[in-house]
Amino acid sequence: MIELRNVRKVFNEGRPDELTAVDGVSLAIAPRTVTVLRGPSGSGKTSLLSLIGAMARPTSGRIVVDGREITSLPERFLTDVRRRTFGFVFQQGNLVRGVTTLENVMLPAYPLGEPRPALLARARGLLEMLDLGHRLRSRAEWLSGGEAQRAAIARALVNAPKVIIADEPTAHLDTKLTREFMEIVARLKAEGKTIVIASHDPIVCDDPVVDRAVGMRDGRLDGDGA
Amino acid sequence: MILHPGVLALLAGSLLVSALLVASAWNGLVILRRWDLSSGSAVQLALERRTYLVSTIVGYVLAFELVSLFLYVYTADALAPMFTGAMCAAGTLAANGWGYPVLVLRLANFVLAGLWLVVNRADTLGHDYPLVRPKYALLLALAPLVLAEAVLQARFFLALEPEVITSCCGSLFSRGGPSAVGAGLAALPAAPLGVALYATAGAAGGAGAALGRWGRGGAGVALAVLLGVAAALALVAGLAALVTWVSPYVYELPTHRCPFCLLQAEYGWIGYPLYGTLLGGAVCGMGAGVLVPARRVPSLAAAVPALQRRLAIAAAALFGLFAALVSWKVLASHLAA
Repeated sequence: MIELRNVRKVFNEGRPDELTAVDGVSLAIAPRTVTVLRGPSGSGKTSLLSLIGAMARPTSGRIVVDGREITSLPERFLTDVRRRTFGFVFQQGNLVRGVTTLENVMLPAYPLGEPRPALLARARGLLEMLDLGHRLRSRAEWLSGGEAQRAAIARALVNAPKVIIADEPTAHLDTKLTREFMEIVARLKAEGKTIVIASHDPIVCDDPVVDRAVGMRDGRLDGDGA
Repeated sequence: MILHPGVLALLAGSLLVSALLVASAWNGLVILRRWDLSSGSAVQLALERRTYLVSTIVGYVLAFELVSLFLYVYTADALAPMFTGAMCAAGTLAANGWGYPVLVLRLANFVLAGLWLVVNRADTLGHDYPLVRPKYALLLALAPLVLAEAVLQARFFLALEPEVITSCCGSLFSRGGPSAVGAGLAALPAAPLGVALYATAGAAGGAGAALGRWGRGGAGVALAVLLGVAAALALVAGLAALVTWVSPYVYELPTHRCPFCLLQAEYGWIGYPLYGTLLGGAVCGMGAGVLVPARRVPSLAAAVPALQRRLAIAAAALFGLFAALVSWKVLASHLAA
């Protein structure tokens, strides 16, 4: 369970260019569900995702993940929560160029010091599950848009997180690839993952696997959040 | 004022340390008044972010404070040839009325700064800032002392004039000498102080070794308290015994009792490892004792006993080394023959 309590995020506070990206959002996200944050560009979806995923700290308000309040955690504890609880899929994929697909997937697990053979086997298994078994040794820049997106998903899953955070994951995908992406989301949900997606893509928002679509505008929730 | 690199470094360092500690103490005051972890207010979240930064800065600042004690006596020793009558740091510090008060403040601040670093280390091991209030309360006590030290030290160095005729250590640390503290130390019975040195250092080292070995269970609390008390006593007894009992053996001159000539090249700079192990052992031992109440904090239940064991082992090693160095200098001295 992820619970946001009156969360606010203000950038450049007190300056002329002050911007309130998230404004008093309270939201409860049930485990093993797919939640989509839907809204126009600049509505605060990405900022809210960053806060949920512990990549940014709120200006005020609290976020509780599985009963543990994470916004007050010192950075050394927050890093561990971020690493073990959340997997991130970014709009651009953000794969490291010049490195193989397999190495890209293994990268987030390196700080945990897991024995390499076990990690290698898991990364290989994830890529094969996502139909990228033939691309293990391919460099990231050689992958097509859909392949890069699936590699990014494999990378997000490598530390076996409970929650997958995806920010506009289909922005650069065509309809067919977007549907393939949502099929993967359905599989992950069936495996017990909690998935939070920021998207304004109707194919994503209207997909039957989505349990809840939460509208956002001007940093606030459109409908009932909590 | 004498433009010596050590003087300039100490003045600049103290200015920086004081400024940063005063700013940090102000933050500490706000924390003591407004800290509320259950609140998600903007003020609370800003305090949480700021305390991380402030603790890191204060950690480095106080680490410098520890080192600067040795820089202070080194500088005083280096300046001695400029004063008529001075043979070592003892004469320099007596050149005006501020030298010894600064030394006393520096010694007190060394211990307090060391304890703050221990408490800060324990605080960072908990996920919920478990010692944030005691940590900043201690900082609020420490900041005025460091500020006083900086002011007095500035007065001491600014008032130093090379023409001043001062006293040498032979005069200052002799019975009936001009310094009440020096004469008092010289008048203390040497042999009982030697016994006190070994008894207290042995007790602290033994308690440290026992805590390091068996500190996991309930015995850990009693051993940590014992270590803290023994370390404090060992510091006092050790400092007095170094002047009264050990130093004549080092100088091989029964009438010469000086805490500073030990720091000179002529005696192999033996004072630095002697004072370093004694002070380091005292801070580690007292730090383990100070952390006893933190064992009851849920988020530190596992981390603090482990930290106490590490401190205890360090204290045992340092006191052991201190006693070994003392024994070596006493037994190897021609005075012992």
